[in-house]
Amino acid sequence: MRLELRGITKRFGTFTANDSIDLTVEAGEIHCLLGENGAGKSTLMNVLYGLYRAEEGEILLDGKTRHFASPGDAMRSGIGMVHQHFMLIPVFTVAENVLLGHERRLGGIQGARKKVKELSERFGFDIDPDALVQDLAVGVQQRVEIIKALSLDAGVLVFDEPTAVLTPQETDELMEVMRQLRDEGTAIVFITHKLREVRAVADKITVIRLGKIVGTAESTASSAELASLMVGRSVSLNVEKGDAELTDNALAVKNLTVLDKVGHKVVNDVSFSVRGGEVLCVAGVQGNGQTELTETLIGLLKAENGTISLNGTELTGKSVREVLDAGVGFVPEDRKVDGLVAEFTVAENIMLDRYIGAPFVKGATIDFATRDEFAEQAKKDYDVRAQSIHSPASSLSGGNQQKVVLARELGRELDLFVASQPTRGLDVGSIEFVHKQIILTRDSGIPVIVVSTELDEVVGLADRIAVMYRGGIVGIVPADTDREDLGIMMAGELPKHLQPAAEEVEA
Amino acid sequence: MTRRIPLSTLSKKSTARRNLLGGASVIAIAGLLAACGTAPEDDGDTGADGGDNGSDQVPCMVSDAGGFDDQSFNELSHDGLVAGSEAHGLDPRTVESENDTVYESNIESLVNQGCTLIFSVGFLLQPATETMAANYEDVNFAIIDDDQIVADNVKPLIYDTAQAAFLAGYAAAAYTESDRVATWGGMNIPTVTIFMDGFAEGVEYFNEENGAEVEVLGWDVEAQDGSFTGGFEANPEARSMAEQFISQGADVLMPVGGPIFQPAAEAVLDAQGDNPHLAMIGVDTDLTESAPEYADIFLTSVLKGLAVSVEDTITEAVNGEFNNEPFVGTLENDGVGIADFYDFASDLPDTIDADIDELRDAIIDGSLVVESPSSPSI
Amino acid sequence: MSNQVAQQAAVPEPPTEDAPRRDVGRELLHRLFNGTPMLSVLAVLASLVVGAILIGFTNPRVAEAAGYFFARPGDTFAALWQAVSGAYISLFQGAIFNPNRMDSVQQVLAPLSTTLYYAAPLIIAGLGVAIAFKVGLFNIGGRGQMLVGAGVAGWVGFTVPLPPVLHVAVALIAGALAGALWGGIVGLLKARTGAHEVILTIMLNYVAYLGIQYALRNPDLLRNQENNNPVSPPMMDTAILHSLPGFRVHAGILIAIAVVILYWWFIERSNLGYQFRAVGLNPDAARQAGMNVGLVTTLAMAFGGAFMGLAGGVQVAGQVTSGFTANIDAGIGFEAITVALLGRSSPWGTLVAGLLFGAMRAGGFNMQAAQQIPIDLVLVLQAFIVLFIAAPALVKTIFFYPKGARS
Repeated sequence: MRLELRGITKRFGTFTANDSIDLTVEAGEIHCLLGENGAGKSTLMNVLYGLYRAEEGEILLDGKTRHFASPGDAMRSGIGMVHQHFMLIPVFTVAENVLLGHERRLGGIQGARKKVKELSERFGFDIDPDALVQDLAVGVQQRVEIIKALSLDAGVLVFDEPTAVLTPQETDELMEVMRQLRDEGTAIVFITHKLREVRAVADKITVIRLGKIVGTAESTASSAELASLMVGRSVSLNVEKGDAELTDNALAVKNLTVLDKVGHKVVNDVSFSVRGGEVLCVAGVQGNGQTELTETLIGLLKAENGTISLNGTELTGKSVREVLDAGVGFVPEDRKVDGLVAEFTVAENIMLDRYIGAPFVKGATIDFATRDEFAEQAKKDYDVRAQSIHSPASSLSGGNQQKVVLARELGRELDLFVASQPTRGLDVGSIEFVHKQIILTRDSGIPVIVVSTELDEVVGLADRIAVMYRGGIVGIVPADTDREDLGIMMAGELPKHLQPAAEEVEA
Repeated sequence: MTRRIPLSTLSKKSTARRNLLGGASVIAIAGLLAACGTAPEDDGDTGADGGDNGSDQVPCMVSDAGGFDDQSFNELSHDGLVAGSEAHGLDPRTVESENDTVYESNIESLVNQGCTLIFSVGFLLQPATETMAANYEDVNFAIIDDDQIVADNVKPLIYDTAQAAFLAGYAAAAYTESDRVATWGGMNIPTVTIFMDGFAEGVEYFNEENGAEVEVLGWDVEAQDGSFTGGFEANPEARSMAEQFISQGADVLMPVGGPIFQPAAEAVLDAQGDNPHLAMIGVDTDLTESAPEYADIFLTSVLKGLAVSVEDTITEAVNGEFNNEPFVGTLENDGVGIADFYDFASDLPDTIDADIDELRDAIIDGSLVVESPSSPSI
Repeated sequence: MSNQVAQQAAVPEPPTEDAPRRDVGRELLHRLFNGTPMLSVLAVLASLVVGAILIGFTNPRVAEAAGYFFARPGDTFAALWQAVSGAYISLFQGAIFNPNRMDSVQQVLAPLSTTLYYAAPLIIAGLGVAIAFKVGLFNIGGRGQMLVGAGVAGWVGFTVPLPPVLHVAVALIAGALAGALWGGIVGLLKARTGAHEVILTIMLNYVAYLGIQYALRNPDLLRNQENNNPVSPPMMDTAILHSLPGFRVHAGILIAIAVVILYWWFIERSNLGYQFRAVGLNPDAARQAGMNVGLVTTLAMAFGGAFMGLAGGVQVAGQVTSGFTANIDAGIGFEAITVALLGRSSPWGTLVAGLLFGAMRAGGFNMQAAQQIPIDLVLVLQAFIVLFIAAPALVKTIFFYPKGARS
């Protein structure tokens, strides 16, 4: 099926999210839509999917103009979408999920089961139609999403940031599936901001910036070229840093075990240490205990077993307040949920973890003058693009929000800095800035822990890399470890030839 | 008849007193159907203001938090106000109180409307009535069920319902086959328990006279304590209390407290299959007439002459004879009484009418004294 | 597919990154209590329109004139106009200013004085809902907290002899403390066990109501020993919030204003109030910032209860000083929710909303007496205000408010 968008313009109030965008995707083509967060990719796809109505422009399928009032319309016309966040019901079986909303078209549950079997055989998915979705691995769940879209004979398939939750190996497999679909004549729109993936799979690349198409490229284009197209200026993709100069400051974690509510070990006997002046990156596919590890470090979760000590001071069992007061700075992985109060102003967010005593509180009253002065300085130092320090944090872009969090956490005397997914969802420019700040912190002699699921980031920032799998640490390896090997470790195995190296680094 | 069923705790009052929306739709439909009617000839100024019959009295009434549709003393008093006003061609004004804290404001708003005679319904209005009577000495007040206020412009209207309830108790004792009768109240307050006292004493008197052993469930005169539903709502609690007494073998039931008789009557109707002899005694008004759907089960009713006394007070005012002498409703002045036995007469001893008349005379001439701690002290 | 579609289509917002995961109840509360001031004004206007329709349709003269509508339509409209304007004019005259009654200063100011008289406890109680909401808690236990506060303040007021001023102050503080305890229990249980505050407060309302009723029947506790009625003894003269001679309004309104200022300082200026807001808006972020969410929850309910208890104290020391019944809360505990809603939980908004509702109460008496319109209409107006605030889209449609406009 051939998809053509002509002059699509979508405005929200005075803000133009899409500015007369033309895009053609041929049948049997993988078309990458590349752009930073907030560039307008998702808006464009939501227009295509019938969620938004464009002010101008038209959508053509195989040369015929179509109007979609709802996703239902879009689906019926042959447009399928695989969302970044799965739209599956965990307690339903695969077949039930596929059936949901299309009961008649698929001919009941038996029809859906047959369809799942048929599609799963065709693509070699090996999916049991009667398995509960909640029992399936993340990668397999994504395949269920794909099957759901294909079960409606989608001629155009949109993948919206599909690799965020996958291991490198799963990502490779997904790309294989996309190629297979392409070869069968499906038109594929692949939305991403990961340059490596784009270059691996795309037939054509369209780059969007600030709601406009700023260029097209072939898959042979270099990452640097694509990045500069995306950002609008040349950017450095590599983190520049000198050799680690270790200090005596150190965090030591020994035999740490954390249980979840039902008693499963979410962090399993983890031991490591970080010295001042180095960055330890914790790598791994999302959901393998990294979140729980960091939350235990700052006292949000209780350790079942093991010890945490910072410069000889015991932190195990301390409250969050006490841990923060011991000089731990923390950037939570989900800044919108955990790092900021969206409705608060920038200035209010700046004092979020310093609400008692100096410098911002005198007696029981907030010292607005001091706080605002500090916030103004932070705004300047961290280049926070906000109208003023009294703008609500929700009005800031993701990158600027993260700068506010960094300004707050790095704004006090620290003995340890923990950053969880510090660049998730940020634009390239902000990523550069955040990385620079992390390295500056490292160079000031503070132990730094960075948790990231982005391999590029891990490799760029780390002095050492700890890979987590199912709550345990598979191994701690040097930063120059081969990517292939890191991928294997993220699946839970430590390659033989790395074992001595891992031990050495750990010691 | 709207039943009082407690809505959620969020509602301030258990029911809306006047169903505005319901009324609106009925009137709207009626209006549509009739919209083709002819216009009245006269376009003069005959409003709803009523005619001018020579009296400049404006009788007014403030309800307590029960509202004028409480099927109890507010409603009966209101009936008296309407009847008295119609009799003299007056235009009455009323305000309902949504709770116990607004009585002063309500009375004052009536004073501002030019009311000359304001009825306060219920003892809860006593402090507010006393204050307002002192503030507005040229306005006359009458307060129902309270005799605490002594002021030139306040007339207390009180009722020795124990006397009438005594007769009902005697009749109940004569009627029962199980030798068990029951009475219970909405709340343990004097205007309720005075009925229960009289009832229990009537039963006791029957026992003494006839060597019977009829037992009264639900009220202990000595201890002044017994069974109460906890409020004046026609709710499931009121029904289960009736069921409880039925299962204990009582075959005459006297619930005292406005609408709480309804669930009890339902319970009686349901239980009559097992025990056709079951009967109830109504209070305040003749429920055989005013609640025809339950007419078959009322042995009789204890009457409290609220309407009559309100009406009489209006007449006094119209005739320029308003005074602060308390009106005490007794058997003697027909301010209290009991209703007819209707079809139940055949189930009672032949002598019952004569016995009741004899007792009534004895109470009137003072040879028989019905004593309740809640009886008017005047 | 309809399910999926409806859910997705319901979010016509510009694309953002992952929406923060919030629980639905909290989200709803947040939306309810954080509308724009404009929305509050429009909701009041819309409910007045609805009220006018109801007045028109229930008026017997309108119905009569509608009977011959086609013969003489003018009559219907004249009757409609008379009914509606009469109602609202009398509402205004009862609450603000009555040109027919200008014989003395007292008379001229009487309507305003009555408005302030009824507004005082409403404002204080409104803040009791507002402060809990700031922490994302729904305090519908106002009734119980008020009753407990009224009971304790009343007991101090009629049994403990103390010098003037001091006596009333002690009584009110005792009431506030009792309310704080009653509310604090809820906060503590919520913080410790996760029990839902709505259920807890509803149940404690019953406990308080039946408890007060019990105490009012017991002469050793709250009942007036001089008679059998379930009414407390009158307050001692030293424990009464006095008014200027001839006016209804008493010092309670000054207390209300003082409490509004205190609330403003607390929420806007104090560091504890800052924590309240942070926990209310985003408990996860507050927890990660080291705040003690459980403690804040407990304090918020205790403070809410304290305001409610104080409102209960004002009821017995100012509104009904001749002895109170178990209905002394007068529905204010629930009306306070509407006040806080309309005032969007802000100090000044709650003040204005409390004044408006006080005016509606004051005017309601006059409207009932003058036009014989049931006081229920005022309750209906209030109910519609809540309805319109809860359904902002409806108000926006009615007033052609720009759809995309956001706060």
